[in-house]
Amino acid sequence: METECRADAQLSDYAARVLEQVAVAPGCRLLTVSSPGLARAASPGQFALLGCGTGYDPFLRRPLSFHRVDLKRGEVSFLYRVKGVGTQWLAERRRGDVIPVLGPLGRGFRHSDRGKRGLLVGAGLGAAPLLFLAERLAGQAWSLTVLLGATTKTGILRADAFGRFGTVKTVTEDGSTPKKGTILDLLQEELNGGGWDTIYACGPRVVLKAVQEISARTGIPAQISVEERMACGLGACLGCACRSASSPGYLRVCREGPVFDAGEVILDD
Amino acid sequence: MIDLSVEVAGIRMQNPILVASGTFGCGEEYSPLLDVGRLGALVTKGITLKPWQGNKPPRICETPAGLLNAVGLQNPGVDAFIHEILPVMKGYGVPVIANIAGFTKEEFVEIAKRLTGAGVDGLEINISCPNVKSGGMALGTVPELAAEVVEAVVESTSLPVIVKLTPNVTDIVALARAVTDAGASALSLINTLLGMAIDIKSRRPVLGNVLGGLSGPAIRPVAVRAVWQVSQAVDVPVIGMGGICRGEDALEFILAGATAVAVGSAHFRDPLAAMKIISYLESYCEENGINDWQKLIGAAWKNK
Repeated sequence: METECRADAQLSDYAARVLEQVAVAPGCRLLTVSSPGLARAASPGQFALLGCGTGYDPFLRRPLSFHRVDLKRGEVSFLYRVKGVGTQWLAERRRGDVIPVLGPLGRGFRHSDRGKRGLLVGAGLGAAPLLFLAERLAGQAWSLTVLLGATTKTGILRADAFGRFGTVKTVTEDGSTPKKGTILDLLQEELNGGGWDTIYACGPRVVLKAVQEISARTGIPAQISVEERMACGLGACLGCACRSASSPGYLRVCREGPVFDAGEVILDD
Repeated sequence: MIDLSVEVAGIRMQNPILVASGTFGCGEEYSPLLDVGRLGALVTKGITLKPWQGNKPPRICETPAGLLNAVGLQNPGVDAFIHEILPVMKGYGVPVIANIAGFTKEEFVEIAKRLTGAGVDGLEINISCPNVKSGGMALGTVPELAAEVVEAVVESTSLPVIVKLTPNVTDIVALARAVTDAGASALSLINTLLGMAIDIKSRRPVLGNVLGGLSGPAIRPVAVRAVWQVSQAVDVPVIGMGGICRGEDALEFILAGATAVAVGSAHFRDPLAAMKIISYLESYCEENGINDWQKLIGAAWKNK
């Protein structure tokens, strides 16, 4: 079930019906909703604002990137961590419940060329927007390697799902997977092999900053998906600012982002 | 259908529902979702003389029933506003009120002069922004200083001058009287309440600017009180704002003495908030047989 405010508009506040809610790791949920309109409109790297709760606390919606879209079934999935009152409310939604989902929002991943070699870097929950991208790229004959890193084994998210679209390599800081180290160690190893056309990364700022540095040093184009506290999601309130690298001032994460070219933003402002 | 039209500071509006400065962009951001032309008026983000970058992030922090913001007046400056943003806003066919933010009295005057004849329908003087170090709230908490700014702006423009007041004062009525005596044609109240939040994990303030302005339903009773007090003390119309989310909230402000109301933070939760409030007022008047809705303005104190 869904409602559209205007028939010609893709961006809408969809009334999305919950189909499934699965715990994929301690504190991490995979939420799948039915919303054919949203599924048609969504692109990899874009996000939606999910209304949480029926009162005024929490007050703001929660921005979640599209994790997977099943166009045929009209389904959209979100991968999220239960962190506070908003995501706790989401985690309590069950099959049949309706959630207001405003989207699609923002500028997603860019991928014009066909059949290139792509390196996907997902640190922790950074895996969330990359699965949708992996499926899209694999469908356009890209050859993909997906790097997933976390502090411990249970933090490696959706490795099996990524396995359908490319080679998956995992790493944990505590060595609970065969390979011990950080995702940046793993990334450096892959880069030594050479031949990558684009790096796509999502995760904590320390990882994104390392990817920016690598991209600048090696000349391999990279795109990074940036997180920031957000209010309107539409570019109106200027709440989610990220410093621009090319001009004085700030870019809006919700509008010019959340996916930026690596050289487009300065992350340590 | 009931006529909800209203006149504020000589600006004719089809209904009393405005958007609060800084929460609605230039309308274009919301236009895929709703009919911007259905609003009573658009109010711009705060406009400074020169381009202004705003504060470093994080700029937003959710709080109980509201949020803190410290955007810090990010805007492209008055000239870019006139050439790039105003034409878009004018395209919706509703009055455009320019919220202006000087860091000195002279800057307020200069911005007002450049906007006079540029196509805006009125000015809203922002002497209440809590997120900048000079100007803003610093000018707006002392009645004499506020009156000086208002008087200078009124003298420099033919546009109606609305003054937006801060609630972060001991006596908002004294402030309201001072700026009204100085020539304000209407008052907007309230701007955000000064607040802050601390992250207990990092043990540091959440906002990049440390302090921010609190908005949302959390501040609504404070705003209703301000409208109630000020509307009884001055003879100019009051535009009420502060946590209005539903039609019932808008009605509460009108009963407290507001001639019009502005919807702000509510849009972050429900982009259609203002549209729903307009529909509510229309059906409220119909269901209650109210032919002249303006009789409701200040009814809570007029009918004591």
